[in-house]
Amino acid sequence: MPFLSKTTTAFGGLLLAHACYSAREHTTLQSLRAATAATLTSSPAAAVSLPVDIVIETIISTLIILLGLVLATRPLRPLEWRVWAGKIEREGEEGFTDGSGAADKGFVGNPFSVLESRPNFVDIRKQRREFAEWVQKGTAQQ
Amino acid sequence: MAPSVLHPPSHLSPAEALAVSQQAPGILRASAAAVSSSPLASLLAGPEDPELWLQYENLIVSCLRTGDDLAANACLRRLAIRFTAGNERVQALRGLVREAEAKNNGELERVLKEYDEILEANDTNIPVAKRRIALLRSMGRLPDAASALVRLLDFSPTDAEAWSELSDIYLSQGLYPQAIYAVEEVLVLAPNAWNIHARLGELQYMAATAPGVSTGSYQKYMAEAIKRFSRSIELCDDYLRGYYGLKLVSKKLLSNGAKAMKQADDSEFALPDTSTVERLNELATAKLAAIVRHSTARDRGWRGYSEADVSAARVLLTEDASAIKR
Repeated sequence: MPFLSKTTTAFGGLLLAHACYSAREHTTLQSLRAATAATLTSSPAAAVSLPVDIVIETIISTLIILLGLVLATRPLRPLEWRVWAGKIEREGEEGFTDGSGAADKGFVGNPFSVLESRPNFVDIRKQRREFAEWVQKGTAQQ
Repeated sequence: MAPSVLHPPSHLSPAEALAVSQQAPGILRASAAAVSSSPLASLLAGPEDPELWLQYENLIVSCLRTGDDLAANACLRRLAIRFTAGNERVQALRGLVREAEAKNNGELERVLKEYDEILEANDTNIPVAKRRIALLRSMGRLPDAASALVRLLDFSPTDAEAWSELSDIYLSQGLYPQAIYAVEEVLVLAPNAWNIHARLGELQYMAATAPGVSTGSYQKYMAEAIKRFSRSIELCDDYLRGYYGLKLVSKKLLSNGAKAMKQADDSEFALPDTSTVERLNELATAKLAAIVRHSTARDRGWRGYSEADVSAARVLLTEDASAIKR
């Protein structure tokens, strides 16, 4: 659900921006007030911390952004060996695609299948013969 | 969708190999003919893509298979420019091209002699040693190939691929105990490989059903086969090949009944009792039926099985059903 996660992240970002703006406004206002107070009474201004609502808004907006990002992650890979292996066998390449439908680049199927296909020992002459026979069969059928 | 050029193509079907080799002209055109390895050039040009060399290697095999020798030679030339002609893998690939282009036995002998010369200069050249073994096997000299492979494994005993090839050579000679031993070595090196466990189970089953096997070793092989297929299922959920083998073995054990099962139970290779075998058989039947049903319906998440495997499972199940009706 890319739409939900994106709107959540955008909403969180909006809140965060609002919190930042509020914090900035607050500090400007405070320093201005402190400056006027200093000229009037010449007493040192007490250090003022941010109001609680701005702090809470910042924290909540961060959490909302996190939620949006977490929602956007791809489904996690199986942790158990047999589940992962079963996924390879059962779903093939299809189980390892990302959102756009293209297969994961690192997907190799069963990583142990090379032990049975043995590419370094390939009998190229036999493969060539078999391919030629396959072509002949194809043309004969047409 | 055409299979990726990044994976070794030796297991592909003819149609898929054709699809791969038809990508060759495009890939050759898209990349520069010569990539210089000098530091100045690598500063000016972008970083070189290691996948390109992998693609060339795989394209050579696919193109040779489909008879496109021109493209194969072009790929080989580029690899030779980049890695020099003395590189071990380039030497092996050049040999591969020569083998494919050889028209008669004399030319093959000449290629073999070239391999011997290379190995004489450097007898740890593993790619060329493997090519030499493959060529010997292709020329039908199985004992020579087996002894050369044993010598290779003597100094490189952790090569799982070579053990697997040795097992295959022994199997083609009908030497089941040796073939089983070699696959067990593969399993020592790759203990989680579920397909190799299934392969070992298949070998044990073949050994058990070979003509002229004594009752004792028959039981031993069958017990081992059940264990191996069970392990492959343990390592991989819904593994068609594992369940197929389990079903085959348990059916065979149940069909020849109690007479073969009366052996003393103290040996390590005692068969499980009949009720266990029956339950295994039921489990395998249920799982196979589910797999066949889902893949025939092309359900989402069940499309990874190959067509041939599923139809073989279907045949096994229908045989079983008709046997029960009778």
